[in-house]
Amino acid sequence: GDAALRRALYAHVLNVQGRCLYDLILYRLHESPEEEPHILLECDSSVLDAIQKHLKLYKIRRKVNIAPCLDLSLWAVVPGEQAGDTGGSLAQCADQALILTPDPRTEVMGWRLITKKGVNLSAIIPESHIGNIQDYHRHRYKQGIPEGVEDLPPGVALPLESNLAYMNGISFTKGCYIGQELTARTHHMGVIRKRLLPVHFSAPLPKNSIPVGAEILTESGKSAGKFRAGSGELGIALLRLANTNEPLCLNIAGDKVKLTASIPEWWPKTAGK
Amino acid sequence: SWCPAPLCGGRALLRSPPAPACPLGSPLRCASSFSQPGPTENDPSEGQVLLSESCVKITEGSEFLRLQVEGGGCSGFQYKFSLDTVINPDDRQGQRGVVVVRVFEQGGARVVVDVDSLAFVKGSMVDFSQELIRSSFQVVSNPQAEKGCSCGTSFSVKF
Repeated sequence: GDAALRRALYAHVLNVQGRCLYDLILYRLHESPEEEPHILLECDSSVLDAIQKHLKLYKIRRKVNIAPCLDLSLWAVVPGEQAGDTGGSLAQCADQALILTPDPRTEVMGWRLITKKGVNLSAIIPESHIGNIQDYHRHRYKQGIPEGVEDLPPGVALPLESNLAYMNGISFTKGCYIGQELTARTHHMGVIRKRLLPVHFSAPLPKNSIPVGAEILTESGKSAGKFRAGSGELGIALLRLANTNEPLCLNIAGDKVKLTASIPEWWPKTAGK
Repeated sequence: SWCPAPLCGGRALLRSPPAPACPLGSPLRCASSFSQPGPTENDPSEGQVLLSESCVKITEGSEFLRLQVEGGGCSGFQYKFSLDTVINPDDRQGQRGVVVVRVFEQGGARVVVDVDSLAFVKGSMVDFSQELIRSSFQVVSNPQAEKGCSCGTSFSVKF
């Protein structure tokens, strides 16, 4: 596809060893290639300063301004339960906002909306109602969409295991980039044995009750993967694809907690083999 | 590291006919024309870019070698060499409207490095290397660099 024409792009910043550092969504503000490029970056707010510093390290003499946009608000417009929620009616609202565009990662994440702070949303999207941010995160975990440094720990997560390719976040035909050696080699060798998958616990768990990287086991006690992050009875875990259809469990402070994994509906149909 | 593109960008310059390859490095004299006072360095060679013998024999007349570092390549940064005759180039930056450079000279040969790039290459040696595949200027033994790519153009930094 023609990346230059798209309004939003999903991407990861990698380190030289090929591990994820930051996940980003880029939004194009300029309308044509003749205009000066003007791009918005969406990132985890807890690493805003680190990302700016990182970008400035590579800027050197180039004439690029990098600055936080504290006067803007970012919204996720997630499809409602009722039938008839279509993107078509949303597209008509686009000129009321700075950005209103489908989430570049996957259709199940709906649309992304960027407005100036304080704008009345029902003026932009009629018949919408403002939801709870926790519902947004639960929706992500249900679908297995990682976002931010908790889901993608910098220096730990691997892009292909994090489903970067399924989320349209990588090009295997572009030129040099940092972390290319491991990423391109893994892709061309063709075998990715573990991926981030949505998991469902038998009962909701209190926040922070699961230690970071807690081992997930099969019923026979073999290692199936590691827990990454979650909310209530939902979460995402890095699991061996070979073990996704079995009953699994976690040990928390001596107690055994059962969980099941599932293959997200939005993955390509050939995936999960 | 691995560069899938046919040749990394910013490759070095070819000169003909090459003189026979010479062993590296004599200590150099550092001339700081056009530079502003910077932080004092404890080790005299710390903030400098050294020139090997082979460089001295190659550059001639009023030409000098310009070394720049830019973001890019498979490891994050890449070297860019060019030959120039004008020390204050047209592109102007900074509040005072002047690009600040340091000039390193040895035996009449000069290499010019702007201060932004110097942070990435100080303490390095520039060599003119002649191989069957190409003859080119190379940055060898850069104390600021960590991993690099196998063709020698792209590198990552320690800081």
